Amino acid sequence: MASLGYYLLLTAFVVCAYAAAISVAGARRRSRALIESGIGAFYLLAAIMAVASAVIVYSFVVGDYSIKYVQRYSDSVQPLFYRLTSYWGGLDGSIMFWVSLLSVFGSAAIYVNRERHRELIPYVVTVISVVEMFFLFLMIVHNNPFQTFLTESPTDGTGLNPLLQNFYMAIHPPTMYLGFVGLTIPYAFGMAALITGYLDDSWLRAVRRWTMISWLFLSIGLGLGMIWAYEELGWGGYWMWDPVENAGLLPWFTATAFLHSVMVQERRGMLRVWNVSLVITTFFLTIFGTFMTRSGVVQSVHAFGDDPELARMFTAFMITTVVVSFGFVIYRLPLLRARNELDSWLSREAAFMVNNWILLFSAFFVLFATMFPTLSEAVRGERLTVGPPFFNQWMLPIGLTLLLLTGIGPLLAWRKSTVENLRDSFLIPVTLGVVTAVAVAALGVRVWTSGICFALSAFVCGTIGQEFWRGARVRQRATGTDVFTALVGLVARNKRRYGGYVVHLGMVLIFFGFAGEGFKQKEEAQLKPGQQVKVGSFVVRHDALSITDDGQKQMITAHVTVLRDGKPFAEMYPAKWIFRKHEESPTTEVAIHRGFAQDVYLVLATFDAATQTASIAVDINPLVNWVWMGFGLLALGIGIALLPDAVFSFATAPVPANAATAVLIFLAVVLSQGVALAQDTIPAIFRSPLERQVAGEIMCNCGGCRLSVNDCGMMNCHGKSGQMGKIQQYIAEGKDHDAILATFVREHGGYDVLMQPPNRGFNRVAWLLPYVVAIVALLGVGATARRWSRRQAPAPSAAPIDRELDARLEDELRNLD
Amino acid sequence: MSSETSIKDSSPSLPSWQLFALAGLVGATIVVFVSRGQSPAAIILLSLVVFAAAAVGAAALRTLVPFVRGHEGLSVAIVAGRARGAIDREKTLVLRSIKELEFDHAMGKLSDQDFAEMGLRLRTRAAGLMRQLDAGAEYSTQIEQELARRLAEAGIAAVPRTDRFCTQCGAAAARSARFCGQCGQPLETA
Repeated sequence: MASLGYYLLLTAFVVCAYAAAISVAGARRRSRALIESGIGAFYLLAAIMAVASAVIVYSFVVGDYSIKYVQRYSDSVQPLFYRLTSYWGGLDGSIMFWVSLLSVFGSAAIYVNRERHRELIPYVVTVISVVEMFFLFLMIVHNNPFQTFLTESPTDGTGLNPLLQNFYMAIHPPTMYLGFVGLTIPYAFGMAALITGYLDDSWLRAVRRWTMISWLFLSIGLGLGMIWAYEELGWGGYWMWDPVENAGLLPWFTATAFLHSVMVQERRGMLRVWNVSLVITTFFLTIFGTFMTRSGVVQSVHAFGDDPELARMFTAFMITTVVVSFGFVIYRLPLLRARNELDSWLSREAAFMVNNWILLFSAFFVLFATMFPTLSEAVRGERLTVGPPFFNQWMLPIGLTLLLLTGIGPLLAWRKSTVENLRDSFLIPVTLGVVTAVAVAALGVRVWTSGICFALSAFVCGTIGQEFWRGARVRQRATGTDVFTALVGLVARNKRRYGGYVVHLGMVLIFFGFAGEGFKQKEEAQLKPGQQVKVGSFVVRHDALSITDDGQKQMITAHVTVLRDGKPFAEMYPAKWIFRKHEESPTTEVAIHRGFAQDVYLVLATFDAATQTASIAVDINPLVNWVWMGFGLLALGIGIALLPDAVFSFATAPVPANAATAVLIFLAVVLSQGVALAQDTIPAIFRSPLERQVAGEIMCNCGGCRLSVNDCGMMNCHGKSGQMGKIQQYIAEGKDHDAILATFVREHGGYDVLMQPPNRGFNRVAWLLPYVVAIVALLGVGATARRWSRRQAPAPSAAPIDRELDARLEDELRNLD
Repeated sequence: MSSETSIKDSSPSLPSWQLFALAGLVGATIVVFVSRGQSPAAIILLSLVVFAAAAVGAAALRTLVPFVRGHEGLSVAIVAGRARGAIDREKTLVLRSIKELEFDHAMGKLSDQDFAEMGLRLRTRAAGLMRQLDAGAEYSTQIEQELARRLAEAGIAAVPRTDRFCTQCGAAAARSARFCGQCGQPLETA
């Protein structure tokens, strides 16, 4: 089977090259036969990749351990489901899976558009084929998933990394890849338009849906990754600015920017160069993200190891992509000239420009901060750590500004808004925001960022509600129906706009959930059976410890009862699973009791089977579930926007991909039993404020987590306990904050032990450059806007328009609906 | 047997994929018989391999058929007139903007004065574009010209075109027209 697979890959490469070459030849010679053959070859590629995929999955299922990849990522005791998903458990298979998805996705896009955009299709085939050729080449020369053992082959496999044996992790990569792969389609169409010179808006119309679908997959992929991190890594959070996470986020920012600015081109014919550049950048970032995570350029939990050869090949491909793509943009600049004019600063166009500025800045900042350690190593030879605190500090204001814009943008009119009218539009939303702010302050909320976030959320909800309500009223007046029918009609008439508002609402929920972070409570305690610890309004009692085995793994489970205000609240079972062959890294099976207000999140950190003692970490995470619900709403919004024109009824709204999660959240079962045991409440392990602060700034040196000592998920990890011990010792010695950090840096021999680069010397670049870039970009946006608003044509004198022409105009306007 | 007819069949290549689907089914059946004793999942995957192989066959045929079919004559030359399309598109854009402007005004986002001023500007622009479109040749005329050009290239003498004129306003009308494009007067059918 292995050699069959390898020959299939070789054939695929040849077919790919054929498709690319014949399509170019066909387009140049205007020969239908050649072009059709190229399209056929592209379908053929999809079919071949399907065979190859089936072959490797078959090898996984029957356990053909003579294939190295199968041996490394599966074993005989693995459940069938995870054997299937082992396909994308490692680098080689991921690349193959990527190519397969791209060929299927590409085939679908080509099939749908082959008649409507006939002039673009041959080059679309060429561009996608060339991208696939690169990945096929990688597989053939460097990462062949079908590579076999030369001499004797082992009888059993090593098994998939236990951390990846989680439902969300099984479906997270395909969703993410679909997003990434999908973004290749807009790029291919954009490049085809650039090559052929048919740069009117037709290519945008071809890619609109594909971009939305890809964006949806990308968002859900990010969401699934967050759920996985939350449930599997056991450090109580869901986003830690790991390079792999950032790699998924980068194209998300630019794709979001594109989805917004594309509207400006559709409505006003402006921003053409900008849009095509955004598409190219987005594609580049998908490749760059893959490069960043797979070549080991940036150290990360997920990176598949250092691999300079792979890095070189990726670099060559990326440079070629950038040079060729932007080369074409420059070559076609004369055709991309557009009539840019801005009627007013207070217009939706201007709001979109600001939105693009901030999204692009986010992308730049995340990219810069992720690459800063590498940059610093190259310039200064000193490795640093840019950890979550640095990102959070920066992204917080950016996120809040974005949220604010979400509320402002929809209230502005296209072309021009008038100040007096704005007062009217903003009245209700701003009132809502202010009332919330006052209420939050009156309730004595101590975290001001969360307070601002709540107020802004209320403001955006007010905006969206008002848009729906006023729009429905206008339509009701025009059509004379009841409000509900008018609302349905309103959404049906402009699905993308109102679907977009629903997506905005989803984003508000997500931000609402983020704001809950500010009220997190975290404690840790060593408990004997019957002992309990108090965290916030919850009391956590350790009842017993059980040890079971299912052949694949040993499971140590703590039986814990949670009480709230003296009443039984939940029975929870945090566990540690020790997988055979992976004994060195036991997985943390978190017990989560979900609720709208908060999650009770229990982690079994360490245990002693003899005394039945368990050390349990308790996290109270407020509002987390709103994040997941936000993702559900986001999917629903895209679903509305994607509904076909012909059929519109709410009955056919697609079930959001996250529905299952949302349902799970609602199904949180409360199992309550009052067991009277001898109770004695023991205090949580006491840590002084200074100790907490320092532990938040010192990196855990266990080598895998990239988190602070406070947050490292592996509680019995040697790195963490060592660092903790040192911190306690230094505090006992009477050192202050700065002295402790200095000691750590001296002992470690480098600044990378700190979570953020210290603000001096070359490192100041890390702190300054983002500011500089943000300001320069804002000035650029401002200057462009100024130039465009000056170009405005003088208002025409009320010259009488030809009466007959006027009547025809009215006619056409009526027909437009 | 049927493969011959399917390839030569001029109706849009319907049967060829059916043949391959059949081949896939037959192959899968054979696989199920041959691989008795394996786990169900393995058998299903082997069947999928066979099906995918059948798809490879179908796609390979799809790659080669265009050369046999003699599509050569059909070129994908794109009819000139993109410039006209662009004006058409711009007109639609301006009309949409007027609609949007009216909606924004109804939503209370625009003052009456701004609405009147911008509405006027947009309408003037739309009217200008419509006039431009009127002045240009109509699509039917363009098609006729393109047809004549291609016929001439192919060496076939174009059928002499008898232009008709409207009895009321005297405007030229296409042969296929049933009403005058200018004044709407019904034309007698030829």
